[in-house]
Amino acid sequence: MIFQKSNKQVAEVEEIYIEQVERDTEDNIDTVVGPSVNVEGDFSSEGNIIVKGTVTGSVHTSRVLSVEPGARINANVRAGSALIAGEVRGNMKIKDSLELSATARVLGDVEVKVLSIAPGAIVFGKISMPGIEGVEVKSGRRSRKTEEAAGQQNEEYIG
Amino acid sequence: MYVYLYDSFLEQRKYISIIKAIENRLTDYGISGKILRLNNFTDAKPVIDDEIKRGATNIVIVGNDKTFGLVLSRGAGSNCVFGFLPIGTENNTVAPVLGIPVNEASVEVLAKRRKEKLDIGLVNSRFFVSQLHVMPAKVQVIYDRKFKVTAEDKMEVVVCNFQPFYWKKDKRDKETQVVHPQDGKLEAFLRPLTKSGWFGYKYEEPSIFPFEEMEIIGENAFLVETDGRQTKEINLKLKLAKSKIEMIVGKNRMF
Repeated sequence: MIFQKSNKQVAEVEEIYIEQVERDTEDNIDTVVGPSVNVEGDFSSEGNIIVKGTVTGSVHTSRVLSVEPGARINANVRAGSALIAGEVRGNMKIKDSLELSATARVLGDVEVKVLSIAPGAIVFGKISMPGIEGVEVKSGRRSRKTEEAAGQQNEEYIG
Repeated sequence: MYVYLYDSFLEQRKYISIIKAIENRLTDYGISGKILRLNNFTDAKPVIDDEIKRGATNIVIVGNDKTFGLVLSRGAGSNCVFGFLPIGTENNTVAPVLGIPVNEASVEVLAKRRKEKLDIGLVNSRFFVSQLHVMPAKVQVIYDRKFKVTAEDKMEVVVCNFQPFYWKKDKRDKETQVVHPQDGKLEAFLRPLTKSGWFGYKYEEPSIFPFEEMEIIGENAFLVETDGRQTKEINLKLKLAKSKIEMIVGKNRMF
């Protein structure tokens, strides 16, 4: 009993732990690019990014990128997920989901896991999604085999 | 050993009863100590250094936001623990951020000694603790040596460390917006101005950038207010000095 932690000590430790968890979850700072502001260069943030102005260069965030109507990004984009209602000129690599609203204009290749496009959105570029890659390889092999088989048949006929 | 740095405004009659109540509670908790009275021209750094040499381990600031900024902008980096006893309800915006109630209730926080190492800002190799305010000027801002932010005309820049920044969209706006400071990063608040009419300017929607390093370069010299003191600068380098102050904070702190 002497070496046991008192209830008070346990309560204090629990209190400190709860505080730490609360602080960790609250540490979510948003970066906001206002409508009359221009950003040039490698624009990266650990938190969410909201773009209302113009960004040129490259954009990187591990969280959510939100491009508001009227905003313009002339850059390659890498983000956790994205909500686009403005214009993006550049390639986009989105880890999770990409949502293009009716006012969105995307000029560039898009690599994404989950994609949703609202009617009216404009996309000019190649869209690739990870689920489709395996099928492509298999179909390629099949076609090669069938081509080879067809070639043999042709040779037989010639012979 | 505790040393208490009292601001000069505490000599006003309305604060006498609060100070008496605080001193009584300090005696009750057994943490009373030497009292030093500051004035506007006192440099806190040599005062703190002298007291540390004499054996002081805890320096307690007694006053408001101005006192807090005045003492810590010079005293940060000293080898001691800092405490804060905010007095009066006016000019006390830093205290809620640190989770310290005003007047005699703050003694309880001091007695509990919940210590936390805090980050502070460095501006041109000088400390700033509360807030840095660049008055509207033609400036460009470079963040973390990676990207540059510009506006078409003038821009107002506010960097919050411990003091939150209160602002309104325009004069008619009834709702006051707040930029809350966060620990671990400094937060820059940029508001561009655009011309409206012949002479007037209109504030645009603000931009917010959390950062660790920032440079403000002006076309001409611009006015800067750091911890309540105004200077004119042409180039400002701001940095985050991590875990520079060891401070006694309250449970309800905002970081």
